[in-house]
Amino acid sequence: MSHDWQPRIVAFACRWCTYAGADLAGTRRMDYPASIRLIRVPCSGRVNPSFVVRAFQRGADGVLVAGCHPGDCHYIEGNLFTRRRYSLVKRLLEYLGMEPERFRVEWISAAEGARFAQVVKEMTEDISQLGPNAKMREQL
Amino acid sequence: MTARESARCLGISLEELEDWQCCGAVFPLATDAIINLASPFRTLASAHQAGADLVTLCSGCLNVLRRTNKLVAADAEIRKKLEDFVEMKYAGERKVFHLLEVLRDETGFDQLQKKVVHPLDDVTVAPYYGCLLLRPAEDMAFDHPDKPVIMGEFLRALGAKPVSYPFQTECCGSYLSVSSVDSTRQAASAVLKSAQAAGAQWLVTSCPTCLYNLELAAESLDEPPRLVYFTQLLAHALGVDAYLEENGALAKNVMPEVN
Amino acid sequence: MRRIGVFVCSCGLNIAGRVDVQKVTDAAAGIPGVVHSENYKYMCSEPGQNLIADAIRQKRLDGLVVAACSPAMHELTFRSAAKLAGLNPYMVQMANIREHCSWVHRDEEQATAKATDIVRAAVEKVRRDQPLEPTRIPLTKKALVIGGGIAGMQSALDIADAGYDVVLVEKDATIGGRMAQLSETFPTLDCASCILTPKMAEVARHPRIQLAMCSRVTQVAGYVGNFTVQITQAPTYVDWEKCIGCMDCQERCPSRLPSEFDRGLGKRKAIGVDFPQAVPNRPVIKADHCLYLQKGRCGICEKICPVEAVDFQQQEKVWEEEVGAIIVATGFDVLGAEAFAEYGYGQYPDVIDSLAYERLNSSSGPTEGVIRRPSDGEIPKEVVFIQCAGSRDPDKGKAYCSKICCMYTAKHATLYRHKVPDGQAYIFYMDIRAGGKGYEEFVQRAVEQDGALYLRGRVSRVYEEDGKIVVKGVDTLAGENIEIAADLVVLASAVTPRTGARELAQVLKVPADQDGFYNEAHPKLRPVETVTAGVYLAGAVAGPRDIPEAVANASGAAAKVAVLFSNDELENEPLIAAVDESKCSGCLWCVPVCPFDAIEEKELIERVGSKEVTRPVATVNAGLCQGCGACSVACRDGAMNLKGFTNEQILAEVEALCLMTGSPE
Repeated sequence: MSHDWQPRIVAFACRWCTYAGADLAGTRRMDYPASIRLIRVPCSGRVNPSFVVRAFQRGADGVLVAGCHPGDCHYIEGNLFTRRRYSLVKRLLEYLGMEPERFRVEWISAAEGARFAQVVKEMTEDISQLGPNAKMREQL
Repeated sequence: MTARESARCLGISLEELEDWQCCGAVFPLATDAIINLASPFRTLASAHQAGADLVTLCSGCLNVLRRTNKLVAADAEIRKKLEDFVEMKYAGERKVFHLLEVLRDETGFDQLQKKVVHPLDDVTVAPYYGCLLLRPAEDMAFDHPDKPVIMGEFLRALGAKPVSYPFQTECCGSYLSVSSVDSTRQAASAVLKSAQAAGAQWLVTSCPTCLYNLELAAESLDEPPRLVYFTQLLAHALGVDAYLEENGALAKNVMPEVN
Repeated sequence: MRRIGVFVCSCGLNIAGRVDVQKVTDAAAGIPGVVHSENYKYMCSEPGQNLIADAIRQKRLDGLVVAACSPAMHELTFRSAAKLAGLNPYMVQMANIREHCSWVHRDEEQATAKATDIVRAAVEKVRRDQPLEPTRIPLTKKALVIGGGIAGMQSALDIADAGYDVVLVEKDATIGGRMAQLSETFPTLDCASCILTPKMAEVARHPRIQLAMCSRVTQVAGYVGNFTVQITQAPTYVDWEKCIGCMDCQERCPSRLPSEFDRGLGKRKAIGVDFPQAVPNRPVIKADHCLYLQKGRCGICEKICPVEAVDFQQQEKVWEEEVGAIIVATGFDVLGAEAFAEYGYGQYPDVIDSLAYERLNSSSGPTEGVIRRPSDGEIPKEVVFIQCAGSRDPDKGKAYCSKICCMYTAKHATLYRHKVPDGQAYIFYMDIRAGGKGYEEFVQRAVEQDGALYLRGRVSRVYEEDGKIVVKGVDTLAGENIEIAADLVVLASAVTPRTGARELAQVLKVPADQDGFYNEAHPKLRPVETVTAGVYLAGAVAGPRDIPEAVANASGAAAKVAVLFSNDELENEPLIAAVDESKCSGCLWCVPVCPFDAIEEKELIERVGSKEVTRPVATVNAGLCQGCGACSVACRDGAMNLKGFTNEQILAEVEALCLMTGSPE
């Protein structure tokens, strides 16, 4: 592992809450690691587990799925699907040997810029400790 | 002794911690003053080793121990340092209680009332909470920080008439009695006068430091309320003071005479 | 093969200060399919938009990536620009390299690498975009206004005057809201009733405004232009159609209770109106205090009513309204007694809050405008006002400034001196915030002409002693402890959202902040809109507001509604779900996951060889689909996809981002 190795984290962010929360973190000029790359989705319920698996296959060191707090979904109940779906997916990933720190599901509202920055910091720190993802990664 | 015998009478088993030591007296606010936490940490860890929760009779101890306990449970870094320093493992598994809480939550004040053999018939007693028992409210989670009721209910269970007065949650002057006796006397006098104005015959406290400071202030007042520790009232009401007296543990005149 | 253009914005130094814009532009030029790549200082400006339009025409671009700010900011701007230049607006993708990159990362190299990645992902997304056409949907030109205070009334009047119908829902039995409780208003000392009650009457008689009193909005379905709103009306036990408003019932009712309108300082009857100028001027029975409804005795009102309007059998009423837009104007409450034990509020009758003080001042209040303290009715000679009671106090959970208290406290002190010339007002304050036309002058007048004594500091304790309320505090400017034996203490309690505002926010699907105030779509540029299209905000629902601000808000929201209603049809975002019928197996797992009931079963007729066969497939109702994409994940066949966020697009973004520029390997 090279000294300046930085983890790569792919995040799926719901456009109403978490994406806007990340915007707020920007507007407030919060400082967080440049390890994260966001993909804007209409709802965390849009995130197919295959997207998460693909990210890990292609070498992502961590994946974040983030949306509105349960009860606050712009589409009424999309994040409830997320909650159920990913409690299963998370266990499956861990069964496959993935460290739990590499995959997180978080509820970050449009008002929680600081929370977004905090989650990115935590994930980056945790994954930096773990080193690159080797488990599901395809040999490219 | 009053507490232990009273507790026995109520069916609570209290074991004195072997080799106990001072709680540290003040919870340090500086985040790097870890050494000040070593003493309460050791006390907590000892209780854990003894396999029991911790009960204290003192507001100050409760304050330091409960906050230390919370910190140790929440902050792994500080916990590690303390564990290494004291050479004991402890991660906040145990709970810390004030005896008043045990009486309220375990025994129940209604049950306590049934065990009373010498009710404090209609003595007007001012409950004095002071500050450390209640604040910081978030950490202590003891009672309402500005409108506490626990001691009033305790006194009522013993048959006394609690009086409400505005200074019941003011500070007694605390450790200023070491460095600035006048300040302490001023603070404690204000408490006593406030209780006096409310018509209190006695004033009950749950903290030895408060008691000490109040006694200091009482010297210079005309007919101040009589000062008692809550365990004394408890022992008296439960009728265990006679036993204690026989065994030489409770000197005469500790309990004030009822007027 | 697409012909994609990439336009990188420097945003002055907002982006260029941290991201090497030229490097990003050069990297973009190297991506296959990118035939044009350039950067400019302000891409959203007119010259910037012209650059884009020229490139679209000259290079025949069929896909656009604008690497600039958040799509929440300017996606619409660039889509419109593309459309003007002849490109389908849905062939535009924003790459957010400002909010998500240059503003949050310190290291220039890392920020530039990340910006490059973001641009590459956007290029891969736009490569897979298809031109989309919005569907057109009809709209109902009728508005719902929730809350009948000054903001709600102003909104309702403006919309109604523009020629559209309005349903005004008010939870109380009268409109007027908080302003009806006020005595005078700052900084002009206008009598609140004199300016408010004519407006209340105007609302009541406006032919286009329908009032739903004692009502709440309990359900909202649908979307902009086509909301279905469920309204639940509590029983009033009086048939308002029959009632002639003679108020004989109120006169004769034997049951008295503390008046909520008078903040408990006065009494009201179990049947009656909140205050004599109530609109509609119709009585309501407070069931909890009615002897007949509680104990089956009395019934005097029923017997004496000349028109037999009293109806003890009346039930809750629930009905639905179809509306095209919703304005939320639910206003504010103030922090209650439970928050102020240290000030003895709730314990000592002579410690009151500012709304109660307004009632003492009001000529229609319990003391007919004479300042009398509640305990013994004496005229207080020393009054202490405590500002920031709960506000700017994270310990009370309210870190914000309630904004109106500095001004109304100055007003209270002024009015006090006018009414009690030998009295002294003391005001404990943290800072004086008097931003507003004539506001600072007003505060100065209170100090210089009306003798208000301002003490900069906090109060530590309030307690009763010898019939006085002792206030202990500190004057931080003089560096002294202060003790005042006052006759009356007035708390400028923190402004909070209305009780129930959070629940209503969930019904409306509008996000609220940590304090429960509703979030604007953009705090600066879209202050009366919410992120939910068709739902607008007016007044203190979005944060503490004074009257002029609430009224300006209300008119702004009404103007937004009028603009919406000036259309005969609305364009629906085409970013909705679509079924590939050739892949759909007809399992219909998508149907139950759709929160909008937008998916139905349809019989597909196909020729197989020489035979005609029918099989079931899913079909999406474009009018109902909101584009959440839940169905696309539930679909086992991969037949359901979401336009603009297709599986292929998201996977392509994943791949592009995992390549990560600049990661040393």
